[in-house]
Amino acid sequence: MDNSAKHLLQRLVRRIPVSMLKSTLDKWERLTAEKRKSLDFTQSKWIITQELVALYITENPNQGMWHTFQLVSVKIKKHTDQAVWIRVAWGDGLSSPNHLKATYVVLYLQTPYVFVNALSSKHKPLLLQALTLSTRHQQIKAANLSGQKLTALRDLLMRQYQQVFPPKYPSPLAEKLRVEKVQAEASANRHRMARETFGDGMLPALQSAVFKLETKFKGPTNEAMTQRDEPFICSVKFSSSNLLESLRHCASSGIASTPVTPMLSSIPLKGRNYFVITDNVLTA
Amino acid sequence: WNAERRRRRRRRRRPRRRLVSSFCYCLLFSSELWSVNRAWRGLAKGTLSYVTPLYQFRHTQLKSYSRQLSAFIAAEKQEGLAVEVGGLQNTFKVSFSVLRFRQEDPPKTVWCGWLSCINGNPEYLQSLPKDFTCLPLFCSKGAEDLSSLVKSWLQRTFDCCFGPLDINQTTLQWLAALWTNCHMETNIQNLKMIWTLPVLPPLQVTYTVDSDDVLDLWRSTRESSAEKSREAEDEVCIDFSEVTRFMQGLMSHFYRHFRVDLSAGELNQVSSALGSAKVNGKIKISSSRYLISIFSLLTECALLKMPI
Repeated sequence: MDNSAKHLLQRLVRRIPVSMLKSTLDKWERLTAEKRKSLDFTQSKWIITQELVALYITENPNQGMWHTFQLVSVKIKKHTDQAVWIRVAWGDGLSSPNHLKATYVVLYLQTPYVFVNALSSKHKPLLLQALTLSTRHQQIKAANLSGQKLTALRDLLMRQYQQVFPPKYPSPLAEKLRVEKVQAEASANRHRMARETFGDGMLPALQSAVFKLETKFKGPTNEAMTQRDEPFICSVKFSSSNLLESLRHCASSGIASTPVTPMLSSIPLKGRNYFVITDNVLTA
Repeated sequence: WNAERRRRRRRRRRPRRRLVSSFCYCLLFSSELWSVNRAWRGLAKGTLSYVTPLYQFRHTQLKSYSRQLSAFIAAEKQEGLAVEVGGLQNTFKVSFSVLRFRQEDPPKTVWCGWLSCINGNPEYLQSLPKDFTCLPLFCSKGAEDLSSLVKSWLQRTFDCCFGPLDINQTTLQWLAALWTNCHMETNIQNLKMIWTLPVLPPLQVTYTVDSDDVLDLWRSTRESSAEKSREAEDEVCIDFSEVTRFMQGLMSHFYRHFRVDLSAGELNQVSSALGSAKVNGKIKISSSRYLISIFSLLTECALLKMPI
């Protein structure tokens, strides 16, 4: 919900008389009955507005920019399979908490992952420390996965999309195909490897992946550059309305050679979309 | 007699509505006039079209063209203009000028455009019939409705036609090499290239290379050419095979990491601190260096695109 929408909602709630607020919300029919029941109309209008905004964001999590963090610990707690939403409004000694610029945190308790939206760098160490302590973990680190759609990030990390595993034994039919139709086999292989790498059916809608390359120049015909000691600094950003589907199509159509390079397969396997690549290792 | 005609026309004219004053100028220039310092900024940004040769265009008639275009725009605008409240009586101010005259800064430019021909193919130019002037490159920046008005006036006055100039892959690759070459004198910060791969959904690849590293790559592709001497680097005298080798170097470094073949896609945009060019004809030039070379490339692009 952007700031102008929040202001508009605030002004609307302010103008509607308290006695008519409940019946107006009922008439709008934008909230389910149980959500409406959960609203306490004896509170101040300011608090009611904040609760409405929070309800909206919970219903529409695919906005803004979400960043993922991973809690680090020896102990893993088992809880029920539900997400915990936390809303944090920040203030300091001089000003009261700013509810219009709140930070949203989503915890999936059965995983070590935490998703955070709208967190300023000033408040970041405080929030991360609070999360680590309150969840009784030892450490928290950035998971290098960001995007607009919370549901896509969640699905990617929790493998909640259709995975395809290679068959253990090749079927006699596949053997026959290889002998008779080489091209069809190559195409079938590409499709299979594409699906094994990225998954089947609907894939989580990541928008982009960024690779910062700090490797030496790699070019078959250019001796001068290949002999250079310094790294060839560049960055590559892949963007699409659904990145994983685009990459899968690249692999199945042959634009990306199969087997798919670990650079690209790391996106679904490790659940990350930000990488720094040096010559030695794929660094975290 | 002309003054008399003008006075009579003014009396017959309908009451003027308030229109935003605009400043539109058309430039004819060749290399020798290129010493004017600030005026080039007007060329800095816009959308390119090609235009077929202009019939009976006379650069001695610029004042008359200014008046005609001004009247044309005013007449067309009155057709659909809403009633102005408390209207002041300003008309459009249109003026055509040649680059050599320094103009004062206009009060508010709402549209500007230019026509040009830099280092056009001499055989083609000589083959044109005597009455035709070839200014194939047209750039417009400003409101789309004003662009259409200016184009339709030019079309009916000089019997020419316009078409969109899609900057082709070759020109974009040239610009990439040219801007990289400029890094020897001016910091280009980085070279950014954007490709689109034909998959579903379409995949955009933004490949940004550090300026010093891309310059090293460019120089290495030039040095591999045996006859190159040291001085040749200072002139902008580039062979297209060097541009091809340069692009192949960039694409093979990319392939070694991602195993994705960029040549399966289309290069859509090239940009650096010196400017940017997109395949849809949108251009932006932030530095006056190598302007002649860039415009020569674009002129050639326009000549190739023309249907005749």
